[in-house]
Amino acid sequence: MTLSGRGAVFPAEGVREGVLDFIKRALGKNCFDAVLIPAKMPGSDSFPYLLIQDESLLENAHPLPPVMSVQGARAISSLTVRGKGRKRIAALVRPCELRATVELFKLGQVDLENVFLISIDCPGALPLTEWAKNPKKTEDTFPKVLKGEASESLRPICQICDKFSATGGEDLHIGTLGVKAGSILLTPNSPKGKAILNCIGVSAEADISGWQSQVDTLTAERKEKREQAHKELESRATGLDNLLDTFSKCINCHNCMRVCPICYCQQCFFDSNNMKFAFDDYLERAGITGGLRLPPETLLFHIGRMLHMSLSCVSCGACEDACPTAIPVAQIFSLIGNKNHEEFDYVPGRNLDESLPLRKYEEEEFEEVEQSYVETSAKQETRDV
Amino acid sequence: MSKVLRLNKGAEECVRELLKFLLENGRVSGVVTLVRTDNGGVAYSLITDPVVLEEALPLFPLMPANAGKILSRSTLIEPSSKPIAVVMRPCELRAFVELLKLQQGSLDNFLFISSTCGGVYPLEMVVNSNIEEKLLQYWGSIKKDEIVPDIRPTCAACEYFVPYNADITVALIGNKNVDKQCEIFLNTDKGKQFAASIPGELAKGVVESEIIENLRSKRQAKKQELFDESGIEGFDLQEGFDIQKVFDKCIGCHNCSKVCPACYCRVCFFDSGGDEHDPHYYETELEKRGYVPILPATTFYQLVRLFHVSTSCTGCGLCGDVCPVNIPLWAVALKTSEAVQKAFDYLPGRDIEEGIPLTTFRPEEFAGVVE
Repeated sequence: MTLSGRGAVFPAEGVREGVLDFIKRALGKNCFDAVLIPAKMPGSDSFPYLLIQDESLLENAHPLPPVMSVQGARAISSLTVRGKGRKRIAALVRPCELRATVELFKLGQVDLENVFLISIDCPGALPLTEWAKNPKKTEDTFPKVLKGEASESLRPICQICDKFSATGGEDLHIGTLGVKAGSILLTPNSPKGKAILNCIGVSAEADISGWQSQVDTLTAERKEKREQAHKELESRATGLDNLLDTFSKCINCHNCMRVCPICYCQQCFFDSNNMKFAFDDYLERAGITGGLRLPPETLLFHIGRMLHMSLSCVSCGACEDACPTAIPVAQIFSLIGNKNHEEFDYVPGRNLDESLPLRKYEEEEFEEVEQSYVETSAKQETRDV
Repeated sequence: MSKVLRLNKGAEECVRELLKFLLENGRVSGVVTLVRTDNGGVAYSLITDPVVLEEALPLFPLMPANAGKILSRSTLIEPSSKPIAVVMRPCELRAFVELLKLQQGSLDNFLFISSTCGGVYPLEMVVNSNIEEKLLQYWGSIKKDEIVPDIRPTCAACEYFVPYNADITVALIGNKNVDKQCEIFLNTDKGKQFAASIPGELAKGVVESEIIENLRSKRQAKKQELFDESGIEGFDLQEGFDIQKVFDKCIGCHNCSKVCPACYCRVCFFDSGGDEHDPHYYETELEKRGYVPILPATTFYQLVRLFHVSTSCTGCGLCGDVCPVNIPLWAVALKTSEAVQKAFDYLPGRDIEEGIPLTTFRPEEFAGVVE
């Protein structure tokens, strides 16, 4: 994603310090009233999202925590699900979290009127389950990740992420790649973003091409890695047999669905009475092949979920982090998602004004799919005559 | 005294043989048991063809889901009209009995087969597919009535490994020849009827024994140790105990509820807008504390869940097994439910006629509280 225009160079001893200084200044000048940001409070080991108003509490904030425990879009949705409040909130989230937020906006499941969306160049996150077992080890590794090292320890989905920087949907982006030492780059991407910079009294006059070219280089690297991983995955995990094999470990807990920021149904069809049958129905189905897994709809659930959310899938990896049997759900969904996005020339989360492909009718699209139906109905008409 | 059937086969083979006999002789129309999946795991399946039974691993030490919950959900609409044999672990059978009391399912036409249970390995072990390598050690420990190394802590701490309400019980614990010979206890008339005329030697016996009692006391001692280790010994509201610390890592995924057989609400309060707030809630909290956690109700959810499940919790441990952030939920659930069940002199799943404490009114109970 390219941001147009110019940015503001903001002094930063380190990334975290710079970001927190920026937020402190903005809070101090009432540019917004509160900030939604991951934080580790005294006595706690974890990094939940906190909505912070009190400036002094910001010292506990971690704009880039080592793990993604709750997807930021879920946090924003939880915060605004009953509508906007009077407070103006800045939400500082990872790019994938921001993109998911944009998708939820299109689905009418977040209210962004009083929210400033701020993204930041993301180094990736470490696996949640490994952190839970040994927080210290993860926290010792993470500083290396922040320096761009130890990429093999990142979650697999982060290792192949090609959208780790500005998304297009943000009001303001914080650049850390390719910027001068001792600074971060604040680039506005909307009138709201510009207003924040004006409010804190900095002007966006700096050239952003240094940051952009560094982002482009890493994006190209990651794209290649992603393609390679997808190619390998395609031979191993697609097709009915491979899918059955891959999802054979699934215990049908549906946790991938519950942590997914996109899975938008208020109640999942697969948890509803629509998917409960009389015992004799199961017995009859078992009779066809001699045996039937209970409950039987394991793979169907994943395919159904894919149909619902793959167009909006931002490859955030929350599903994989939360799977009790470590099925590479996020990687498989990223492969299918990518293919679907290409079909519709769609990138989830790049633009708040773009509508979801399935809500938009274009007369001219997918003619090759239509063709077989056109032929069939023509034959039918001839016969009828 | 029950009737005992002795077969000269290893335990797993023996159960398969029993199921095959039932199916081939038309005594049951189907069998629900664990079946091998690709990738070295098992899943509960309904089998109608004796040939498919070859793939069954009725005693495989892994619990991919609670069979009690599966039976409940598959008989919610209508019970089975044909006889079905079900092989399940003691805690799963007890969980099913609790769900029956909650009118969530039907036991019609089910024949319950269970065993004295050595416990199961953590679910995450299936990720590395190395359970097969552990089986020798597993059965070795069972022969010696020892706690199997590396089984889930909730199993190592389980006292209720002798099934209640099983029509047929396969005796595993302390059987020195568990790989060559098995003993099947026919506990009920139904069990005797279904198993009538299976070739084998008949005798009389009781499941409970000194060996069982010996393992029970080993596990009781282990339980205390595991409670201490998991940091929840003070969970019964000892002064200074920080409950919030226990749930510190909770990500609000509610997977503990989803897999739990005792979590009986059809739609969870917390999944139906129960943890949603109007904007003014957040604004008030901000003014009061300067910050507010988003998601707002992780610890509250856990405590409400404990309120709901603690009378019927059978300690199956799936909650802890599926927690993505490793919270010792099995210990929290076991510790809480032990205390609650003791207060009501109630053991979930012991007797289907025994009402769940909160549905039973006794004028004289908890006089002290009433005072």
